[in-house]
Amino acid sequence: MAGKVITITSGKGGVGKSTTTANLALGLALAGKRVVAVDLDIGLRNLDMILGLENRIVYDVVNIVEKACKLNQALIKDKRTDNLYLIAAAQTRDKSAVNAQQIIDLTNELKQSFDFIILDSPAGIESGFKNAMLPADEVIIVTTPEISAVRDADRVIGILESNEKNEMSLIINRINPVLVKKGDMMSKDDVLQVLSIPLLGIVPEDSNIVSYTNIGEPSILHKDSKSGKAYKNIVQRLLGHDVPLMDIMEEKKGILKSIIDFFKE
Amino acid sequence: MGGSRVLIRGKNFLGFEIDIEPDNLDEIKKQIASVIPASAHLLKNTVVTLKLNDSNKRFANDIVQFLKEHGVTINAIVVNNRKDLKTDVPVIETAHINLLADKNEKEVATYRGNLRSGQLIRVNGDLVIVGNVNANAYVYATGNIFVLGALHGIPHAGYGGDLSAIIFAFNLNPPQIRIGDLITRAPEDQLKGVSKSPVAEVAYVQDGNIIISPYDEWLKQN
Repeated sequence: MAGKVITITSGKGGVGKSTTTANLALGLALAGKRVVAVDLDIGLRNLDMILGLENRIVYDVVNIVEKACKLNQALIKDKRTDNLYLIAAAQTRDKSAVNAQQIIDLTNELKQSFDFIILDSPAGIESGFKNAMLPADEVIIVTTPEISAVRDADRVIGILESNEKNEMSLIINRINPVLVKKGDMMSKDDVLQVLSIPLLGIVPEDSNIVSYTNIGEPSILHKDSKSGKAYKNIVQRLLGHDVPLMDIMEEKKGILKSIIDFFKE
Repeated sequence: MGGSRVLIRGKNFLGFEIDIEPDNLDEIKKQIASVIPASAHLLKNTVVTLKLNDSNKRFANDIVQFLKEHGVTINAIVVNNRKDLKTDVPVIETAHINLLADKNEKEVATYRGNLRSGQLIRVNGDLVIVGNVNANAYVYATGNIFVLGALHGIPHAGYGGDLSAIIFAFNLNPPQIRIGDLITRAPEDQLKGVSKSPVAEVAYVQDGNIIISPYDEWLKQN
């Protein structure tokens, strides 16, 4: 088995990298793929909480690279599916505890037994980001439709291009159709015009995300969640199913009519 | 007026030249003291040369020392003729400068693709960008800048002092425009505006001001 390394990054913090990582990892696992999610935000770990696995952490990614434990010991199995594993970030250390070569070696080892290795990058463009970006076969950039987030994403895309990471795609998170319609928020097209990389999906603003994080259940598990629906579509596209852009709009029909109406313009 | 001033000039990307014209040491010091404070930040961490003429080169060491006291370190002194000049600072004769300038022919550089936030291009001559210049990207050219796309970053045309340089873009919407030693800011209300149907525009210098006008109108004037 030769797995694929996908890095989720954004530049700016708080745009939903970890939420996206959790949802895509869980979605791919529920679709039958063997998935491992690796939290590289060392010192500020969140992914374990969002996945509801924080009480199961014994060993973390720093323990692995320092050879304090075996790889298998640090793989935390998800409580909902046997296909998903988590490697947690160390909380008592910082980004300097690992280097890029160690992460590349780790992902190469994980590629033997997983279909997808999903790396949750820290915010910023410093060493933590570089560690997460260098092993990637594919990079997903998450942004929100705000100028500050888009500019940071633009900076990150520039750095990725200069590192020849050209397999990039974009998720626009937290689109609020009401605000877009009023002209107070950038639209999908405004964002794409600036960033000009392929669009992987759009995720609507979902006020339930906060409570989903509190209970450790990503929105993709909730059938009535509008963001969960959007993540399911993105998972299908990651699996190579040719979900045309029209389908986004059709699938949202009935659930997010206002969005559709807007995007049909 | 001409012939008795102290001037600071940008020299392409080579740094700056302080050109001393007066022949009276007190006058020179007075003028230096008045021009340096405004440009001191530019003169740090770059190459600064001091240009002297035959009437004032005897003050070379005094001027170098005086500039040092004002935080400016001179890397070399430029003179017509090094005869009678006694100094520890390297001396360049103008004949050599001209030789360098002749070799340093301006060219047209083309960049394909988008320039993204944090990226920077410097060109000696004209610069053509086939793509967009995104916000927080910087483009410098000693000649003209042509952006065949949207320009949201910061352009500096005529870098080094060429006020005849122009900036062209299909969608000209930068937060600042710099031409030669002039700088202008976008009006506050236009900063974040996304113009829906932009027209090609040209920025140029007229009577010491940077003017922006639609390309077709600019064509008529020329």
